[in-house]
Amino acid sequence: MTKANITIGSVVLSPEMKLYELIDAAPVLLSIFSRLNIRLPFGDISIDEMCRRDGYSTELFIELCAIHIDPRYRPNEEQLTENMLPEVIGYLRASHRYYAEHMLPHTARHLEDILKHCDELSERVLRHFYSDYVRYITAHFDEEEREIFSLLDSSTASSANFAIFDMPHADIDDRSNDIASLILKSLPEAAPTPLRCAMLQDVYELRDDLRRHSSIETYLLRPLVVKFLKRA
Amino acid sequence: MRRLSIAIVVVAPIIREGVATIIGHNPNLRIVGAVDSIAELQVLMRSTEVDVVVVDVALQRDIEAEAELQTLPIVGLQSSLIAPALQRRFSHLATIYTPEEELHRMLIEAADLPAEHNFAESHELSERERDVLVLVATGLTNKEIASKLNISPHTVISHRKNIVHKTGIRSVAGLTVYAVLNKFIDSEKFQ
Repeated sequence: MTKANITIGSVVLSPEMKLYELIDAAPVLLSIFSRLNIRLPFGDISIDEMCRRDGYSTELFIELCAIHIDPRYRPNEEQLTENMLPEVIGYLRASHRYYAEHMLPHTARHLEDILKHCDELSERVLRHFYSDYVRYITAHFDEEEREIFSLLDSSTASSANFAIFDMPHADIDDRSNDIASLILKSLPEAAPTPLRCAMLQDVYELRDDLRRHSSIETYLLRPLVVKFLKRA
Repeated sequence: MRRLSIAIVVVAPIIREGVATIIGHNPNLRIVGAVDSIAELQVLMRSTEVDVVVVDVALQRDIEAEAELQTLPIVGLQSSLIAPALQRRFSHLATIYTPEEELHRMLIEAADLPAEHNFAESHELSERERDVLVLVATGLTNKEIASKLNISPHTVISHRKNIVHKTGIRSVAGLTVYAVLNKFIDSEKFQ
């Protein structure tokens, strides 16, 4: 892959772009830095300098940023090289940890604040619904780790179960929207507006991040796995 | 399935022609007109039957102004950010990045929505829809609900589509929570 610029809306991503310019143009990318544990402060360091310092592929990092800014962005599959596969898997694993250790518990705390204002039955069904949602997401992550990510450790792999990517992503998206609809339309009036808004912000942030995650799996991971299997 | 008649209302000629070409790739979908205004769509509909319309979301206000278009299934074509409240008029939303197969699926689903459905109507559930919702929440199948309410399974499916559209909730688990939060179902029934 050549170190070409990628333009997403008004943001031009290039290897020479300074990290502070990158975050200033697209603050949504902070979550990438958080899950990859990239050191701050940035000073005047560029994307390329940071990637060489921390051992990431500059081209892949720019592709990840592009999908995070606009999940409808499609990388050019022909320019993806097989050596990017371990790095993409490493990123997705870090994302799974980020959801499990940060985003899902954070949202759960806001839900618990809201449940204090609900009657016993509403409290029970809402808590059950959210726990079920979390279980579904984490089971899906476990399955991906087992069925797809583990291919890297196998020298004899010849096929992959790509169905793992498809239905669950649409289903997770539906369930995220269901939570948002319930809080927006049906939560008892006793629940204070600031608590509802905090919870909604969490739910929408999680939903949008999961959509990006899904795009990375579909448009970066899947073509790379196909290339890997062809060679194997 | 029967071949669906699709009309396109998009201002930009390049996008209009592109969308028409992509829809035309599906043998079950037939383009009956590609125009650049709601006024022209109305002229077209006087002479041609239309099952689904693909409309540039920028023309949202023009659609709302025309009473005769309120029951028509419409797939919105989104080229810029649009407030969620304005998205309600569209049964589905496509963008210029939507894959071909996805666009075909949206059109076929839009045509399949209940004919009596009025997209601009209140989102409050009717009494019958509440009955169906409560039975869905208690875990009954479509067939069991049909038998219990003395209606056909097809009518149950039609009510369920309306419930999903009105509540914005797709999963059975989510609909159960909705029924509890809105007091359609009490703790005794829920056991």
